[in-house]
Amino acid sequence: MAASATSLADDLAPPSRRFSLLTAIRRNPTIAFGGILLLLLVFMAVFAPLIATHDPLRITPVNRLRPPSERWWFGTDQFGRDVFSRTVYGARVSLIVGLSVAAFSSLLGLALGLACGYFRRVDAVVMRVMDGLMAIPSILLAIALITLTRPGLGIVIVAIVIPEVPRIVRVVRAVVLSIRAQPYIESAIAGGTRNLKLLLRHVLPNTLAPLIVQSTYVCASAMLIEAGLSFLGAGVPPEVPSWGNIIAQGRTFFQIAPWTILIPGAFLAVTVLAVNLLGDGLRDRLDPRLARRL
Amino acid sequence: MTALLEVRDLHTQFNTLDGVVRAVDGVSFDLSRGETLGIVGESGCGKSVTALSILRLIPAETGRIASGSIRFDGRELTGLDEEAMKRLRGHHISMIFQEPMTSLNPVLTVGTQIAENVVRHLGVPWKAGRERAYEMLGLVRIADARRRLDEYPHQLSGGMRQRVMIAMALSCDPQVLIADEPTTALDVTIQAQILDLMLELKEKTGTAIVLITHDLGVVAETTERVVVMYAGRKVEEAPVEALFERPLHPYTVGLMRAIPRLDVEADIAGKRPRLQEIPGLVPILTRPIIGCAFAARCPLATGRCRTEAPPFVDAGGGHTVACWEVAP
Amino acid sequence: MTAYIVRRLFATLPVMAVVALFVFFLLRFAPGDPAAIIAGDDATAESIAAVRVKLGLDRPVVEQFGVWLWDLMRGDMGVSIFSNLPVTRLIAQRVEPTLALSLSTLLVAVALAIPIGVVAAWKARKLVDRVVMGFAVLGFAMPVFVLAYVLIYFFAVQWQLLPVQGYRPIGEGFWPFVECLILPSVALGVTYMALIARITRASMLEVLQQDYIRTANAKGLATDRVLLLHALKNAAVPIVTVIGIGIALLISGVVITETVFNIPGLGRLTVDAVLKRDYPIVQGLILVFAAAKVLVNLIIDISYAFLDPRIRY
Repeated sequence: MAASATSLADDLAPPSRRFSLLTAIRRNPTIAFGGILLLLLVFMAVFAPLIATHDPLRITPVNRLRPPSERWWFGTDQFGRDVFSRTVYGARVSLIVGLSVAAFSSLLGLALGLACGYFRRVDAVVMRVMDGLMAIPSILLAIALITLTRPGLGIVIVAIVIPEVPRIVRVVRAVVLSIRAQPYIESAIAGGTRNLKLLLRHVLPNTLAPLIVQSTYVCASAMLIEAGLSFLGAGVPPEVPSWGNIIAQGRTFFQIAPWTILIPGAFLAVTVLAVNLLGDGLRDRLDPRLARRL
Repeated sequence: MTALLEVRDLHTQFNTLDGVVRAVDGVSFDLSRGETLGIVGESGCGKSVTALSILRLIPAETGRIASGSIRFDGRELTGLDEEAMKRLRGHHISMIFQEPMTSLNPVLTVGTQIAENVVRHLGVPWKAGRERAYEMLGLVRIADARRRLDEYPHQLSGGMRQRVMIAMALSCDPQVLIADEPTTALDVTIQAQILDLMLELKEKTGTAIVLITHDLGVVAETTERVVVMYAGRKVEEAPVEALFERPLHPYTVGLMRAIPRLDVEADIAGKRPRLQEIPGLVPILTRPIIGCAFAARCPLATGRCRTEAPPFVDAGGGHTVACWEVAP
Repeated sequence: MTAYIVRRLFATLPVMAVVALFVFFLLRFAPGDPAAIIAGDDATAESIAAVRVKLGLDRPVVEQFGVWLWDLMRGDMGVSIFSNLPVTRLIAQRVEPTLALSLSTLLVAVALAIPIGVVAAWKARKLVDRVVMGFAVLGFAMPVFVLAYVLIYFFAVQWQLLPVQGYRPIGEGFWPFVECLILPSVALGVTYMALIARITRASMLEVLQQDYIRTANAKGLATDRVLLLHALKNAAVPIVTVIGIGIALLISGVVITETVFNIPGLGRLTVDAVLKRDYPIVQGLILVFAAAKVLVNLIIDISYAFLDPRIRY
């Protein structure tokens, strides 16, 4: 009897407050793995000028199509440009596009989602538009927008944000609707609480977790779309070293110089993987109900 | 004559994050042909786990039968391979569960769910299976049975769903029917109907029933013999009249006293008696229990009770009890 | 049941309406002067004006919309700026390879991914499950064109088992037709398979926890019947939903895959049109792809009624 009393007291005591990084990593391996990988890539992108061995834009025809060696770690392409340096700089484009698309679409999606969840008339109109947008495959939508404007990084970002917004709107709207249905909100409204206060205190905090998770997936998706667009020649201008561009330019001589495609491709795959893992890990952590499902 | 079902010193354990839970800690009982046995006890005492253990339905990742013997019709079940167990389930030993709402598959018709049992175990063609399903629906008194065969569970009421479960369970004429809290989730009036139905069917088919419940009222109405369980152990066993007339184990006594009674005169006199509860909490099952499981909450407990587990003593007339103080 | 189908059919109309409006207004509201951009950097004032006429931008907006919509109803999607050929004809010419590629990918992906997901759920947390899910995570992150090139490098260049690129219509023989489609289908299908396998596993896991599965086991039914009939049928709705959502992935991927493998389908047509800024073709393709996607989703909506009787009644 005494033994069980002690254990009960132990259970009720507050947990230790010291935060141990190692324990955090052990408990959340996916977040840790994805996060670390991503940090390495960000590091590579930010310090590209220091890491790159050559000038990524410099054309030296005499050194064309060299296989990887001590001098050119990843070999050279058909213009004699160092693939390693171009790959390192390519990280910049992918990360900038991925992160800005995630940020902008999240903000826009949050605003629209909240409006939809709250105001029925807005909901009816906006959701129809979102359904319509979702009917158009994202690459095509982006392509259509790009066809009509001058090429540039900004345009690419906008063109990718538009097809990604509906996904976020849906998630935010779902959260808002489910919270509004809760009895305590009904009583708060009946008690005269102002809409804005309700929004900020009750609704908004609950949207943050799913929003963050979705935006990591949007980031991964944006990186893939940007690379796809650049690959098709409809993305960032060809002089700018984007992984998609590098791969596109490697097409003609792929059979004799596969490194020009396979290496930037591997980097792209790893980056997207890292972001996806981060998203999965965050989802498991922030929304355990969903974790049990997926 | 050997009993139909013999459970001897059954130990079933679960592996949890907090340690090994001894859900069934040495339970033994017999079930004779055609008998209705009640297993009664509060939530968490191990009665459902005992039932699942008999049919070996404990998921392997979570728990296992650590030791003990379960003999059905002379055959030992604990070492039997899975294929042989599957032939037994639904055919010789059937089980029905507490929640009729969720225990039936929502995307399959009632007829399919009954017929597939018959086809599987009796090897008959599908048409014959459906005919049998129709018969069974009639047996459990479901009106308009032809139409009901092609309906889905969500189109039926709770009471009807439980009838379907019973029909399904009895479709292959099993020798044992294990009913795990079959009426707990139903309205009181429906409860009475279902219990009457079960008894009536038992008369007709001669199936032995193991009725698991926490409701002493149900036990009094339907069973012939009762096993009382506490903290994974059996504490008392008796024919039902004997148990109610002369409960021996302090836990059983406490249970009886805890039943609210309608005492109209006391009410009028303004002297409504207090509900007697059993003080204390159920012991944590992750630690081995030394001595009597009930000792911590027992008004009669002595030092011996806390150190030595009492054996089962025959108190006459098929009434056995495990208590140092009551039956030395 | 028919009422349900009719309702779903009508629900597609607003969506197509939005797509049509969007496509229409995109041209008119794009920043800058689309006619100038399409005409090119070194265009003269006359050529820009000519392009504007071709795009119909010289008439009032409402009239433009009416004319455009009317033409659309009659199957006229305009004329290519550069080749002067009707867009409808251009699209019809290129449909077959895209259809072949899409269907083969869909079939292969679904046929492989669902069993994989079922097995992974059945043997949850054991080695098989972890390996399968590991591949699923990788597969989902892999960009289509990277995978395509990896496959080409090994299967076509190094080991020379399959052709590097190209397309043979089925008229030229069954094996050449299949041969050319294997690598593109795999490249396109992997991401799709990863998605489907994951959701199959997740949905099955949830279903296997349900009480009715316990009942099925208590009846002593055979394992494959429990898994495939009792469990999978209940797990089907989310799986089928994801198959529908994945069609968008498929369509996006088709554009890239056809470019990599040099398949003369609608994807290649899209790329050519984009590079030449031949907007009428891009517009027509968007409408066609969107319609295809809406149609697929309609089929999926209708299938829900067959899978889950609670929706029907």
